[in-house]
Amino acid sequence: MKKINFDEVFKKYMAWIILLVVLFLFSFTKNFLSFANIVNILSQNSYAIICSLGVAFLMMAGEIDLSVGYIMSLCSVIAGILNVQMGIPAVLSILITIAVGMLLSMLNNFLSELLKLNRFMITVATMSIFQGLSYVISKSVSIRGFSDGFKAIGQSNIGMVPLPVFIMFFLLIICSVLMSKTYFGQYVYALGGNSEAANLAGINVKKMRYIISALAGALIAISAIILTARLGSAHSNTGPGTEFTAITGILLGGISVRGGEGKMTSVFAGVLIISILTNGMQLAGLDTYYQFIAKGIIMLLAIGIDVYNLNRRQIVRKTAK
Amino acid sequence: MSTILKLDNITKLYPGVTALDDVSLSFEQGEVHAIMGENGAGKSTLIKTIGGAIQPNSGTITIGENSFDHLTPSLSSENGIGVIYQEFNLVPSLSVSENVCLGNKLGHKFYKDRKQMNTETKKVLEELGLDIDPDMMVSLLSTGQQQMVEIAKSMIKNCKVLIMDEPTASLSSAETENLLKMVNTLKQKGVTILYISHRLEEVFEISDRISIMRDGHYIKTVNTKDTSRRELIKLMVGRDIGDEYPKRQTRPEEEVVLEVKDLCGQGDENISFQLHKGEVLGVAGLVGAGRTEMAKMIYGYLKKDKGEIYVRGEKKDIRIPAEAIASGIGLIPEDRKREGAFLEYGIDWNIPIMMIKKASNGLFVNRKKTAKIVDKYIKELSIATPSAQQLVRNLSGGNQQKVVVAKTLATEADILIMDEPTRGIDVGAKQEIYNLINDLVAQGKSVLMISSEMEELMGMADRIMVFYEGEVTGFVDRQHFEQNHIMALASGIREAA
Repeated sequence: MKKINFDEVFKKYMAWIILLVVLFLFSFTKNFLSFANIVNILSQNSYAIICSLGVAFLMMAGEIDLSVGYIMSLCSVIAGILNVQMGIPAVLSILITIAVGMLLSMLNNFLSELLKLNRFMITVATMSIFQGLSYVISKSVSIRGFSDGFKAIGQSNIGMVPLPVFIMFFLLIICSVLMSKTYFGQYVYALGGNSEAANLAGINVKKMRYIISALAGALIAISAIILTARLGSAHSNTGPGTEFTAITGILLGGISVRGGEGKMTSVFAGVLIISILTNGMQLAGLDTYYQFIAKGIIMLLAIGIDVYNLNRRQIVRKTAK
Repeated sequence: MSTILKLDNITKLYPGVTALDDVSLSFEQGEVHAIMGENGAGKSTLIKTIGGAIQPNSGTITIGENSFDHLTPSLSSENGIGVIYQEFNLVPSLSVSENVCLGNKLGHKFYKDRKQMNTETKKVLEELGLDIDPDMMVSLLSTGQQQMVEIAKSMIKNCKVLIMDEPTASLSSAETENLLKMVNTLKQKGVTILYISHRLEEVFEISDRISIMRDGHYIKTVNTKDTSRRELIKLMVGRDIGDEYPKRQTRPEEEVVLEVKDLCGQGDENISFQLHKGEVLGVAGLVGAGRTEMAKMIYGYLKKDKGEIYVRGEKKDIRIPAEAIASGIGLIPEDRKREGAFLEYGIDWNIPIMMIKKASNGLFVNRKKTAKIVDKYIKELSIATPSAQQLVRNLSGGNQQKVVVAKTLATEADILIMDEPTRGIDVGAKQEIYNLINDLVAQGKSVLMISSEMEELMGMADRIMVFYEGEVTGFVDRQHFEQNHIMALASGIREAA
């Protein structure tokens, strides 16, 4: 019989356990557990979850990207220019926007490779560049008048469930399968676990980093498109802040800032925890600024859990000696 | 001689582990006392107890006249005990004198008196016969020099007992020589040295007495001049392991599996050699002579300027490791933890990673196939683990190394470049690696074995290729193996013949 290790179980399903606790706590709030509200939470946060999937690929490979929010901002504005101002059909606009997202993310990777600096530092700089570009291109006005086809991405329903929720689950399944069932997923973990050893093990680390960047960029762009379509307008402040939700959610999902761990499904749970807390705080009538404070505290908690896990592992290692 | 440090009935318990079990030991003034044992024998716990880094559960420590039931780092240092751990406790961005005087209340209360610090430091350095500039920044010093600064740091506090934990582990041969000389100098001054090392040669060279520990127990103390390598190994491992270097039944064949012609780059020049099927070709040389660089250039990990590589007579253009692996070349890297293993993942994750693409249908990994491979190698290499899911971090050094080897073998490589395959693993595990090498060679694989331990190379290799400053200075056949001759070649002295 295999002994159940509660520590391990807790670590593996931490996000789900916290999610259940949070659901339980809020279930006392009026209307919270209604079908409409749950669909609403999922629908409102589909874009954040999709973006988090992209960021999770990067973090599992051991990298952090701060420019995610402004990549979204740029993608949103570019989608607006393509679809509204240039009148390019929805499908083509979307494809081009996704390509832009991929390119921007790959640019971060290129600069990190060129300057031999980690992506975190590079994106502190590119974040500002992307932000500026986004405002310059949009002339800091919101772009309205998207075609119906484009708006449908964010606003149509299949049965009683909004389309973004379907897209989110579809991408979640794909990403989850990619990480757990394919050799590509194993390579991502290899990079996050020990990139030097990965390189010597014959994994083309350089190429892998570009592929991971492209994948993350595509997901970030899709996230921006859904958000833009749902709002029905594009503006430079569409997106920024999402990186914060993503990183917090991913950490809550048990992925380490040092990379090499975690599951995509836990990312889903992690982001939902934050979404529900936000939603709950809104229902409870908490002021927006207090919500910022609460989110910061959650982020600290998530980091705390990550560090706690690391320390515990080292203690275990010492005693095993 | 008088007893300067005495341990009585020291016991240290960790949850589930008895790190030290009723250990009693005493050390005489002015002796070099080696402490030996396999990994996990309790050596580190013992010295940390003396250094005050950990507190024992029971027992007494007597330093000179004073008895303690436990020590703290400052108490230990006030009583004249200095410890040099494997990881140095130096501040890289400070100068030598600032480091030497760190934590030493010199000069004025509020500001540091640079002049006094410099004179004091100079005095200590001179006493130790060291030629190091006190104003030099520590990060600019070599590893060996940094170690000397550590020693000076202890000596300025009038240390009477100096504990050195694996002091030569990261030193080159020349630096090792210097360190051994320093140990003798300190001994002449009446300092007691507790010398922890895996390296039998050194221990025999400098120690007066040797205490052996095993599994947290104190086993025996022997006089160095009355013992032998074989006896020590037997005491450490707990059984007679027979020949240190197991005999090989097979001979190399004629067929050349790997030929390197005029390999240049990374400081290496015109390296040419042939590796035969079923051969163990040893690569000797000092640390930094360019052996690892050669290995990594052949493997496509480092860029070569020029040179040709032929695998089984076929010219191969290897630019990245994946191409080397495809040609049947495998590299067991020098630094197991940094370059070899994925420590945070399980054995079952590590072993298939290099061949996982081959074991996939399209993108999807065939778990049945990989599970079979994991089972096969755990059995074949007798990797000691409670389960295949065990994290590599939690394995002993020897077993970690086996996982790294298994990972490479799983690619079906038949030309294996092993860079320091037994570094940092204990005697019993070393022999298992030697047996493994013999098995591989018997299967018709070929091994290029880089090692800084001369005895090991002479025990294992069919031929030895000697490096000196990026060049091959000679090849020596098994029947002509002689330590002085190989050392001479490794020091750049080419014989006329």
